[in-house]
This record gives sequence, structure tokens and C-alpha cells, in this order.
Amino acid sequence: MRFVSFRPATSVLATAALLLIATAPSQAQTRAETLRYVTGASVNTLDPNIPGSTRESFALSMSTYDRLVAFGRKQLNGKWVFDLDTITGELAESYDVSPDGLKLTFRLRKDAKFQDGSPVTAEDVKWSLDRCVTAPILGKAQLLTGSLTSADQFKVIDPLTIEVTLPKPDKLALPNLATVYPMIINSKVAKEHATTDDPWATAWLKEHTAGSGAYVVETFKPGEQVILKRDEAWNRGSANKPAFFKRVIVQSVPEPATRANLVERGDADLVLDLQASDVQSLEGKGKLKVISTPQYNAITFVSMNNQIPPFDNVNVRRAIAFALPYDDMFKAALFGRGSPLFGASWADGKPANGIYPFQQPVKLDLDKAREYLKAAGLPEGFSTTFSFNVGQASTAEPMAALVKESLGKIGIKVDIQKLPDAQMSTQINEKKLPFYTEGIVAWLPSTDYFYRNFYTGNQRWNYSSINNPDLAAIAQEARFEPDKAKYEEAGRKLNAMHFDLMPQVMLWQPNQDAVMAPSIEGYTYEFHRQVDYRDVSRK
Amino acid sequence: MTTGLGATMVRAGRRLLSSLPALFGVLVFTFLLMRVLPGDPAVFFASGPNAGKEEIELIRKQMGLDKSVPEQLVFYLSDIGHGNLGRSMMTGQPVLKDLRERLPASLELTFTALLIALIAAVPLGVIAALRPGSVVDHGVRLFCALGVCVPTFVSGLLLIYVFYYLLGLAPDPTGRIDVFTSLPPQRTGFLSIDFLLAGDFEGWWAACKQLILPAVSMALFVIAPLARITRASMLVSLGSDFVRTARSVGLSWRKVVVTYALRNAILPVITIAGIVFSTMLGANVLVEKVFSWPGVASYALDALLSSDYAPVQGFVLLMASLFVLVNLVVDICYGIADPRVSIE
Repeated sequence: MRFVSFRPATSVLATAALLLIATAPSQAQTRAETLRYVTGASVNTLDPNIPGSTRESFALSMSTYDRLVAFGRKQLNGKWVFDLDTITGELAESYDVSPDGLKLTFRLRKDAKFQDGSPVTAEDVKWSLDRCVTAPILGKAQLLTGSLTSADQFKVIDPLTIEVTLPKPDKLALPNLATVYPMIINSKVAKEHATTDDPWATAWLKEHTAGSGAYVVETFKPGEQVILKRDEAWNRGSANKPAFFKRVIVQSVPEPATRANLVERGDADLVLDLQASDVQSLEGKGKLKVISTPQYNAITFVSMNNQIPPFDNVNVRRAIAFALPYDDMFKAALFGRGSPLFGASWADGKPANGIYPFQQPVKLDLDKAREYLKAAGLPEGFSTTFSFNVGQASTAEPMAALVKESLGKIGIKVDIQKLPDAQMSTQINEKKLPFYTEGIVAWLPSTDYFYRNFYTGNQRWNYSSINNPDLAAIAQEARFEPDKAKYEEAGRKLNAMHFDLMPQVMLWQPNQDAVMAPSIEGYTYEFHRQVDYRDVSRK
Repeated sequence: MTTGLGATMVRAGRRLLSSLPALFGVLVFTFLLMRVLPGDPAVFFASGPNAGKEEIELIRKQMGLDKSVPEQLVFYLSDIGHGNLGRSMMTGQPVLKDLRERLPASLELTFTALLIALIAAVPLGVIAALRPGSVVDHGVRLFCALGVCVPTFVSGLLLIYVFYYLLGLAPDPTGRIDVFTSLPPQRTGFLSIDFLLAGDFEGWWAACKQLILPAVSMALFVIAPLARITRASMLVSLGSDFVRTARSVGLSWRKVVVTYALRNAILPVITIAGIVFSTMLGANVLVEKVFSWPGVASYALDALLSSDYAPVQGFVLLMASLFVLVNLVVDICYGIADPRVSIE
């Protein structure tokens, strides 16, 4: 008996033969009425006000809740983007601003109903706005930027009219009411779930919705998916009819290559956060619609801590600004997908306008950089670290290598430091990083807002830790400047100071690349940098 | 027979008890480790466009980070005693709930992968051992080497590319079930079982289809150690006296190879399978990411990156407990495979 006569392992083949037979989706009809949106992030709360809520949660709340007002949209280079200057009513049928700018009066729509069928009243609006400025939630810090700080400022005039009083005529008061946080909650329902410890029902609203929005939450699996169902009675859209899609599925797919496959195969309808290389190849194939919008309220920086030597020396900062290989970085990190904030030519040496962010007249010029280093008393260069966070590695890693190479040529030795996200944000907050790349976003992008929030104070968002009283004073004054020409003048001054002081280097505004099925229409770049599901429809 | 079973149970109980100090040690160690790691979760989670100092303090208080570390440890231990693993900042849910929802997903995937791996590896190892040095042996070696050197996420992406993207055979790699399929009532948490219990065969097939690609890409990675171990111990066993004797008395081929040689060779394979299983459960994070599989490993990784303490601690505790359990099961399996073994 030979035991070598064992037959080939049919069992192995059997495993391989267990392969899959495709079954056609039997729900083809409802598929057209369903929007399947895939994303790398996930919704973690149904109330965007909860600290720690994600951008996906912001976007979701735009569809599950209404606000008093909403931003309009405009075309920028042929692409739809949100328009900070057009504010239309959402729950408000109309609104008035008093001539002195101190009183905003909102008249509510008579036909507006919450998802449980009860009417939206001025009491609900007051409760919701009170909650936003009193409860320990995210809305507080946001509304502060619009001079909305106390519940006394909101007054119910009659069941359909509410009045907001401002201490100063603040331009950002009205836009603030259109942001994510001041959503209008069904106060009767919320109060039922309030406790003495939690009078604003934050715990309950985290897991439940009580709004008047276009979509009702059908299932919510944190970290996996949310399924929304259209509210047929909702009519706050532009054309007084419910949102287009009957169902919206928001699904987390962590792997970017998988997201690209899904949308290319037509299984997903819309995706925002693809890798630049995938977007480029999908665009090249031409089968899908790719809408690239420069994120005009976001900026990527190379930041230097102005308080840590040698970056406390302005000439060192200028040397860095002229030693960065901008074009190569732009290509390597973003494949050129964005708007550059470098390489301007200021003919008269002055900023072209008072809008921030702006293109600075900086470019790679190693001789100039060496001169600045000499002027700083460091002709031999120095050593430093350049940090970025793991979450941004796909863009920051190639960038860091180029920074290291280029700065090496003028004697600056750079060690690249890749930090986990939480560690990076901690170190930024503690002002411990000398030299790093980070990005910012502003929901309400106006010049004074940028300078006040990102260039003043000992706080996290002041990446460069710049402490310049003049700059702070001009920005603060501009906030309440009603005269457009004077505001523009202040903006020019601030921009000129930015170039002179070079607290940090603005690199670019990355594109938001929305890749979608050819049948999807109406995509608009929103201030929260997510899809507003109410915008989109299918041909 | 009953005494044998009773003895096994007593042994199992004793082992379980003796593992408690180790579990406690793991608990305290993870707790301290998370606090020693740089990175303040409060700062990370307070990253709304306007979050300032106040928000950071608020989150710190919510997470109990405003207290001293020993105090936090006492609170944490008493919470654990009450069966409360804390709340995840990332998902906003209690960690226990998250783990309970995600563990079945991971277990289902790992069990399937291990099953596929064993079904493939043991015969491969046996064939290789039967003809050492032959073309078959080299073929098996090559296959194993390939499986080991291709990382799971590469094989996962390749499988997706071929079977989903090019051929369109596999369903889209987005989790345990197609988004359009309705879920069965939850009984075990294992979708393939729940669907069967609910009598929904279409759903069962849909769940299985979702499971095959991730399970195969995980299995590919662990076939190698299993096959190599099977081959090595089969060689020893085939060369031993009792096999020679069995052959010389003219027992059937099947009896010699399967009953005598394989049964004696299987012990090290069980050991390795136990280790492989525990490792797979924790280390299948790449597969979970690639296939959007809502398992515990990717959950823990996300939590770790954002310094979300509670989920990481909960995950490590879970893994440690599972490890203890798996070791126990392996011990019991030893006893069944070889009654001479009794580990005290």
C-alpha cells in the first residue's frame, strides 16, 4: 500500500469554487429614488452641538433640522457654492433688519410643521436659540462670533414672530443663524426628555431627532450608516416641494480606494473624500461627473511658532517663505487640485485687495532666502522639526519631504515628525510645535473673522502664536465697520501686515472633489464642506 | 467518562480563576498606558471650527479627565465592576454597546477565515508531507510564501479589484450586508446564523457573499503557518515507528494517514490555530478597513488614533478575556485529541 496515491486536494478547489454568483439588485426601482452617499468619516451624533461631533453629523443635521434662515448659492467659476451674502428664509417666511442694525425680526412660515405634525412656533425658536447660547454645547462659541450670547436677546412677539436684539450692529449675527448649530428643535418633545441635570435634553437629542427638517432618521448606526427617509410635508426647499430623494443612505467606507471603486461601479452615487490621485484617474476616464470646487473658506498653512526661536525672528520666517518649493509641493500633495496662495506679483508692492485669504508674492527663491537668513544672523542655518498629522499623511508626507530637501539647500536641517492626530492637536494647543503644516476652516469667511480667530490671542487656532496688538486692533475694529470702503481698507492693511510679518505661510486652498454618478445634479459646495442632501437630485 | 469530563471542567475552572490576576493587570496597565501616551483626547474632540478652551474643559470633565489619575483609576475600576466600560467619544455610544454590536461581526469573520484556512491548510500540509521535496511540496511552499508576504490589505484590495470591480461577481465591499437588504431579528449577532434562524435564505446568501472576500483575504495570510506546521508534524509522525508498524500490518492507506498519522500530528496544529485565531481577531484591522467591516479591531484603531480612552481600554480587556477563553478551548481540544494530555 502506497500512501502517495492520495488524490489531489479537491477540497481546496472546492473552497475556491465557493465563489460568488451575482444577483441583480431587485430594488432597481427604488434605487433611482435613493441617494447612496459614501464617506470615510461617520455620523456620531444626531445633534451637531455635542462636543466631538463630526462633519458628517453637521451635514446630517442640515437635513434633519431647519434653521431660521439659510445661505443662498451662487456660481463661482461655473460651480455652485454657498453664498454668504444671500440669506434666505428657511423657517422664517421673511425677516427684517432694523435701520440701526440692532434688531432682527423673523416672521415664521404658517405652514411649517415639525416631523411629528405639530406646528413650529416662536416658542420653539426661542427655546432652541436659548439652548444654543446657554447649554454647554458647541453652538455657544459659534454664536458668540455673531454677538449672540444671552437668552435675553431672543424675544417672542407673537406665536409666529420672534425678535433678536443685538448689542452692536454685528454683520455676522444673521449668517450665524444659518450655520449648523442654531437648529430649531421641537421644544415640547425635547422638554419631555429633559432632566434636572440636563435641562436642554442634550443626552436625548444625541440619539433622537425632534426637528422640522427635510429628512427623518430611519436608522442610525453610529460609525456605520444612517438611513434617512424623506418628510413628504417638508416644503422649505427652493421650489416649495419636498426634497428630491425619497431615501438617503449615508454610509461609512473607511478605505478610499474602495470608495472610488464603489462610485465608479455605480453602486454609490456621490463621494467627497477621495484621494487626489483617484479623482484624477476617475476624471480622466470621463464616465463620472467630477466637480472640483476650491474650498474658499479653508486654507492649508506651513505654520511657524512666532514665539519659539529661531522663528521669533521675522527674517527667519521670511527665509522659510522664500525657500519652500511651492510648485513641487502643490503638485506632489494635491496634484495641483486647488487654488494656490503663492506666486502673486504685487506691482506696487501692495495687496491687490482686502480679501483674506489672498495670494502672497512669495515663490521659491533660494538666494533671497539665504539673504534673509544672513540678516537673521543665522547664515549657517539651524535645525528644526517639521510635523504633520497621520490623518493628513497622504498630502502632507510628500510635502514634508520636499520641504526638508529644499530647506536643506539653505542649511536648515529638518527632521520630519509624523504625529497621531490627537497628539498633534494637543501639541498645537500647547504651542509646542515650532514648524508644522495644518489647515483651517471658517464657516463665515470674512476678512476680519479670519484675522480675529486665526491671528490673535493665546488660543489653539492661532497656529503661528502671533501676538501683534496692531493687527488685533485693526481686525477687532473692522468687525463692526459698517462702511464697505473702510472695511476694504482695513483688509488691505491686514494683508500687507501679513506679508510683512509673515507669521505663517499660506500654501493653498485645496479643492473639494465631489465625484458623482452622471445623473446627479445640483451639487453645491456648502460652508460645512459636506453635501447638503437637499441640494441634490437625479436626472 | 463522566469523571474525565468532570476533571476537564475542574481544570478549566481552575485555569479561568488563575487568569483573573492577569486580566486585572492588563486592565490597569492599559489604563495607565493610555494616560501616559501623549495626546489629549479633549483637545482632539474639541475641534469644531470655534472650539476654544471652554469646550476643551467641558470635554475633559465629561471624560472625567479633570480628576487625578489614581482617582480616575478607582472610578474606572468601580465602573468595570458595575459592567460599565465607559462611553466612546468617537461614536457617542457606551463602549459596551459598541463592542457588543461589533464583536459578532469580527468573530463571524474570523471564524469563517479560520475555517477556510484550516480546510485549505491541513490538506495542503498533509500532501506536502506525503511527498516531501516533490513538485507538490514546492508548490505548497510557494503558495504559502506568497500568502504570507502579501499583506492582507493588498490581497483584500486585489480581491476587490478582481471580483468586484472587474468581474462584478462579488457584492460591493461595504460591510456585512448590502444596504438594501433588511436585517433579520438579532439573536446571535452572527448574520449567517440569524438569517437561517429567521428562515430568510436570500438574506443568508447575501450575508455569505459579503463574508467570502474578506474571509478569504484573511485566510490567505494564515494558511502558511498552519500548512507549514501540519507538514512538519506530519513528517515526524509519518516517520515514526507506529506508522511504520501500521503500514507493515497492511492497514488501509486512509487508516494509516488519517487515523494514526494525522491524529498524532494535529496537536501542534491546534496550538497554532488557537494563537492564529487570537491574533486574527485583533489584527484583522486592515481587512476590516478595506471591506468597511464593522468589527472591533477597526473600532479600536480609530479610537487609538483619536486617543479615545474608553474604547481602547474596553477593546484590550475584551481581547485579553478572549485570549483566556481561546487558550482554555485549546486546552480542552488537546484533551480530546490526545487523552494523555492533562495540563495542570
